[in-house]
Amino acid sequence: MPLHFEARTKPSTLMVWLSPAAALLLTAIAAMIVFASADHNPLQALTTFFLSPVADLYGFGELLIKAAPLILIGVGLAIGYRAGIWNVGGEGQLILGVIFGGYVALKFGPGGGVWVLPTMIVVAAVGGMLWAAIPALLRTWANANEILVSLMLNYVAQYWLSWLVFGVWRDPAGFNFPQSQPLAPSALLPVIVDGTRANIGIVFALVAVALGWLTVGWSFVGYQLRVTGLSHGAARYAGFSTDRAVWVGMLAGGIAAGIAGICEIAGPLGQIFPTASPGYGYAAIIVAFLGRLNPIGIFFAGLLMALLYLSGDSAQMSLGMPSSITGLLQGLLLFFLLAADVLVQYRLKYIPSVRPEVRRAI
Amino acid sequence: MIGQLTQLIIATLVAGTPLVYAALGELVVELAGVLNMGVEGMMVIGAISAFAVTMATGSLTLGVIVAIAAAMVLSLLFAVLAISFRANQVAVGLALTIFGTSLGSYIGKSYVGMALVTAPSPLAGLITKIPLLGQLHPLVWLSWILFGATWYFLYRTKPGLVLRAVGESPASAHAIGYPVIRIRYLATLFGGALAGVAGAYVSLVYTALWTEGLIAGRGWIAVALVVFATWRPERCIAGAYLFGGATMAQLFAQSAGVGLPPELMSALPYIATIIVLALISRNETLMRLSVPASLGKPFNP
Amino acid sequence: MAGFSRRQLLKIAAATPFVSGAGLRSALAADEVLKVGVIHQGAISDTGWEYFQAQAWRALEKAYPDKVKVTVLENIAQMQDAERLFRQLSSQGNKLIFGTTFSQYASLKKLAPTLTNSHFECCAGIEAGPNLGVFEARQYEGTYLTGIAAGRMTKSNVLGWVGAFPVPQVIYSLNAFLLGARSVNPAATLKVVWANAWVDPAKEKDAVAALIAQGADVLSGSPNTPVQGLAAEEKGVWSIGSTGDFSTYVKKKQLTFFELDWSSAHIGAAKAVMDGTWKPESRWLGLGPGGYVKMTTNNPELPASVAAEMKAAEEAIIAGKLKPFSGPIKDQAGAERVAASAALPDREIRTITWLVDGVQGTLPKT
Repeated sequence: MPLHFEARTKPSTLMVWLSPAAALLLTAIAAMIVFASADHNPLQALTTFFLSPVADLYGFGELLIKAAPLILIGVGLAIGYRAGIWNVGGEGQLILGVIFGGYVALKFGPGGGVWVLPTMIVVAAVGGMLWAAIPALLRTWANANEILVSLMLNYVAQYWLSWLVFGVWRDPAGFNFPQSQPLAPSALLPVIVDGTRANIGIVFALVAVALGWLTVGWSFVGYQLRVTGLSHGAARYAGFSTDRAVWVGMLAGGIAAGIAGICEIAGPLGQIFPTASPGYGYAAIIVAFLGRLNPIGIFFAGLLMALLYLSGDSAQMSLGMPSSITGLLQGLLLFFLLAADVLVQYRLKYIPSVRPEVRRAI
Repeated sequence: MIGQLTQLIIATLVAGTPLVYAALGELVVELAGVLNMGVEGMMVIGAISAFAVTMATGSLTLGVIVAIAAAMVLSLLFAVLAISFRANQVAVGLALTIFGTSLGSYIGKSYVGMALVTAPSPLAGLITKIPLLGQLHPLVWLSWILFGATWYFLYRTKPGLVLRAVGESPASAHAIGYPVIRIRYLATLFGGALAGVAGAYVSLVYTALWTEGLIAGRGWIAVALVVFATWRPERCIAGAYLFGGATMAQLFAQSAGVGLPPELMSALPYIATIIVLALISRNETLMRLSVPASLGKPFNP
Repeated sequence: MAGFSRRQLLKIAAATPFVSGAGLRSALAADEVLKVGVIHQGAISDTGWEYFQAQAWRALEKAYPDKVKVTVLENIAQMQDAERLFRQLSSQGNKLIFGTTFSQYASLKKLAPTLTNSHFECCAGIEAGPNLGVFEARQYEGTYLTGIAAGRMTKSNVLGWVGAFPVPQVIYSLNAFLLGARSVNPAATLKVVWANAWVDPAKEKDAVAALIAQGADVLSGSPNTPVQGLAAEEKGVWSIGSTGDFSTYVKKKQLTFFELDWSSAHIGAAKAVMDGTWKPESRWLGLGPGGYVKMTTNNPELPASVAAEMKAAEEAIIAGKLKPFSGPIKDQAGAERVAASAALPDREIRTITWLVDGVQGTLPKT
């Protein structure tokens, strides 16, 4: 066919920033089509959809608590993705954070002091880190594909949490329902904005963004990771160990996801349910890509994804649309982004009337 | 006792069939070097299209055909992005899953909780008279035929060899003159078609019902299965029945008083997959023999 | 009430925040529409738990066609989201807000005292609190009666129960099922399998297969979808719906069933809010007028004598003469839990964690 993709000599910086904007625009158009098909005024529905959830202080606080785990995990995952380490186990690592941190909260929370919460956070980070260490270990020692291992571990983690919440962690006063005792006040994240539920989780996210930016952009380790991601051969030639990249990449994601787990149970939930995470581990992957694997970009991408969650829920109230519209738009956003991204690496060229022999060689 | 065993076997076959279809499809895709993690999304789309069409027309066959078409459209989307646009296959697969699952849930909104009651055709009446096998739906036998055909295609025909060559070394295949991109497209579409059948089977035959979360992660299990089976079709089908039977075994064990926690039994297949993956990956020779070398990497001709 | 002017209404409304928890609320003006909010955890379909919750607010709309406006949210599966949305419903002027499941109870307990512009009711909540009423159904009365039918119709004397979660509501239901069966057929036993999910069609189907393979010929449970009934019918086994009528799907083999009718709770609460007399209350009602459990039609194949037995027992329960959990009752281990002349008190039924003698199955250890 006459249209061809031709590799650019170097990635187009213009497209790097244009493609997320293009993806957003295309998604907005798609959303308007969906609204129109449900007999709403598309433009009006679009503004209601995106603006009404954050129209008041409480809504803004909700945005922050939803965005915090997404940004946290996104930053952690992006560190690995830059090095070509595909950690898909964010969900499981978050759950391990819930398990480890939850143990501390349930055992020491009631009557505990000011040390309970920090301990929970540290322990949760360790939990997520250990869970991410499994695919890292298997990759370095057995050359096993970390995508598949980390994916499988998501399921194992979920079953482990279910077993705990259905069993030993069940609230004795909870009528045998699968939920833990409500977490004691010493085990809850403090609220930072009065009149909302926004807690210091968002501060963790900001710290992660700062740390991520420093590591990737300014530290030697970050440099090694980026080189490894761009060319394994070059990295090896320079003496950068791929193994180290694997470990750093996976563990960063694990630690971040573990802490995000605390944001969930010690935050708005205040209790441990078998479904501790509504798929944040997977949504964070989209956030990482949306943010171009750049911590600052991930911050904004996280806010956008969080807004989509909130919009989907309130769309039921304001527009009468089912909440599955959230996943629809999130998936579309990623699709459009990936499609637009091709223009970063490739240029579209029109080559008219090519002779068959020549064309086949292209 | 024999009666119970037969029941258990039949229930296992029924539960494993969606996995057989989905895993066989994904196997072919991966053997061509493409890692399509969007199987879950394609199964959901297949399930809801089949359900909606059969509800409207009363025809199971039509439902399955539309499911195949719908899932193939989705896999085409994946192919365009991952193969032609060289986008990251993990990201595209994930986007496909999230999109497919949400779209299915969105469309399925008006069908939630409805059960399918189709009048049994005269053919069905004849089939049920066959002892033992008659208790199984035609789609179950079809899965066995499909397995045989896929095995034959992959290991006894030239196109099958070419497909596997493309997965091993697309550069060499391209140099010989085989249309790598087209082969990968066809493999992806085939995988999509089978995922559609798998989804249709779940919503039309297995549960004959539509609810949220009907597929419940079976698409992901199919991806795991292919690894567990070290990319061999006969192990795929065995693994499918193993995974599918895990739930059945767990329920039977409950009634028999076996004390193992059900969550552990449910987690075992995944743990087993990780162990198997680690063991074969460690063995370089075995790896060279099993894993398609170019799996997940985009091909630039 | 029609005599209240807007100004008087506003004065009283301004004063109400200081009277929180006492239940003294201003009545609605004659032309004011009562805004009601409902949040469903799952999806509303045409059978099952969510369906009956929806039927209740539909009945409310029908009872007061011009005076009530209901805003409904479904598929709010996560509790953090439910909490935010309850708050949003309240700030949007919904004066009466219903929670539809036990999982929302914790959030409502937190929110109700602070959101004084609205009154809250939680179905399946534990106990009433400031600004929060709760109501739950004595499902065991219904399952006792269906147990009578099962006890008479079983040939193998093995009954089956597909349990969702081992929560007291399910445990007392299945216990009463066997007690009812044994009241007419002392040889009956009950096998229980736990699906560990409220809705998981594949698991439920497998559970039915497992129970039938072990000889059960009458099945019950608390199904939310027709899957269990259909799977049973495929194998020629009777099924009993204890959360509704699945006979549009299970055409032949549904033996009997009962419905959960929450409309009296919804209509009663709405009327009270409109009259300004709403108070937080704890209601646990079963059979009878104004109750939440309604026995309905039986399968034509059910012998008239059995139907008559069920009817007689139903009337006895309504009259208070028959208590399903009256002794002597032994538990699985053989220990006597209820003495011969006594009946299990309400409090113990609501928190029950043991299975009666004759039930084969275990409860997960805590």
